[in-house]
Amino acid sequence: MSTTLHVIAHSPFGDERLSSCLRLLGADDSLLLCGEAVQALRSGTAPQAQLRDARLQGRLFALSEDLEARDLADTLAERVDYPGFVDLTLRHDKVNTWL
Amino acid sequence: MSHSLLIISRQAPGSGLGAREALDIALAGGAFDLPLGMLFLDDGVFQLLDRQRPAHLEQKRLAANLQALPLFGVEQLYACAASLASRGLADETLALPVETLDDAGLRALLARFDQVMTL
Amino acid sequence: MRFAIAVFSPAHAPSSRRALRFAEAILAGGHQIERLFFYQDGVHSASGNIVAPQDECDIAAQWRQFITEHQLDAVVCIAAALRRGVLDASEASRYQREAANLPAPWVLSGLGQLHEAAQSADRLVCFGGD
Repeated sequence: MSTTLHVIAHSPFGDERLSSCLRLLGADDSLLLCGEAVQALRSGTAPQAQLRDARLQGRLFALSEDLEARDLADTLAERVDYPGFVDLTLRHDKVNTWL
Repeated sequence: MSHSLLIISRQAPGSGLGAREALDIALAGGAFDLPLGMLFLDDGVFQLLDRQRPAHLEQKRLAANLQALPLFGVEQLYACAASLASRGLADETLALPVETLDDAGLRALLARFDQVMTL
Repeated sequence: MRFAIAVFSPAHAPSSRRALRFAEAILAGGHQIERLFFYQDGVHSASGNIVAPQDECDIAAQWRQFITEHQLDAVVCIAAALRRGVLDASEASRYQREAANLPAPWVLSGLGQLHEAAQSADRLVCFGGD
């Protein structure tokens, strides 16, 4: 069975991608948040609660430049830079970007 | 051996080019005899409704092209049960012979393919 | 490892820049790019007519430079390009349009090129949607 790195770049507010992704996320899959999707890490929000409930320890990542640009903490997610992004794609069998 | 590809289509047919251009990827792959599957998820399930009249929007019917999928060898067709249910479509007659999957079924589906594209 | 990269967004979209930075990191990491394939609004990332404000990133120009410098195979889907008004000289002449706006190093071709790249590559990574 192959593993998937899911990539989301859309804000979770008023958008279905994060919820649908979490339903499809397999036990060995990971999720990388980039672009506006890092807004899901904001404390006290429903998307952050969704991410907590999904218990993604070691499987939730966020692109550093997007955290920095929005002054967001990486409490739940492990930050990665572009070389780290490339490594993530190689550590999983395939990549599914939620366009 | 060929890489198998799952195409996940999330856009409603009237919302723009998303649905049509996702389908074009599937038909092109089918024409090359590649092992493909197609999953209709979120608003993508609206593509499966039989009773659509896009001529009112001066658009072509997508259904005719969707129905070409099996002719192009793309027979692994799926729809998300939760997406259908939340849109009130659980009991609708669908325009394509799709297998409806729950979340566990969707996870198993995703794990079976070598590659995936979500449009 | 070999990567096929598909870009679905125009040059001004954050995802087009992100795809470019990802592509740069692939090469910097010693990996190869099988092909870059531009589809849907990604065809606009290949436009030669973009005039970026002086104080902003010119991602279209950066893509051209990156592709040329590394001699990469950069394909724009012809069907997606035509319906969005992105034409090379040959198509502009064929359809009797005023202007060609798809310069070298870009090449127009079909979706078969996306599938071929996906089949040859170890990873297919898509960017876009914004």
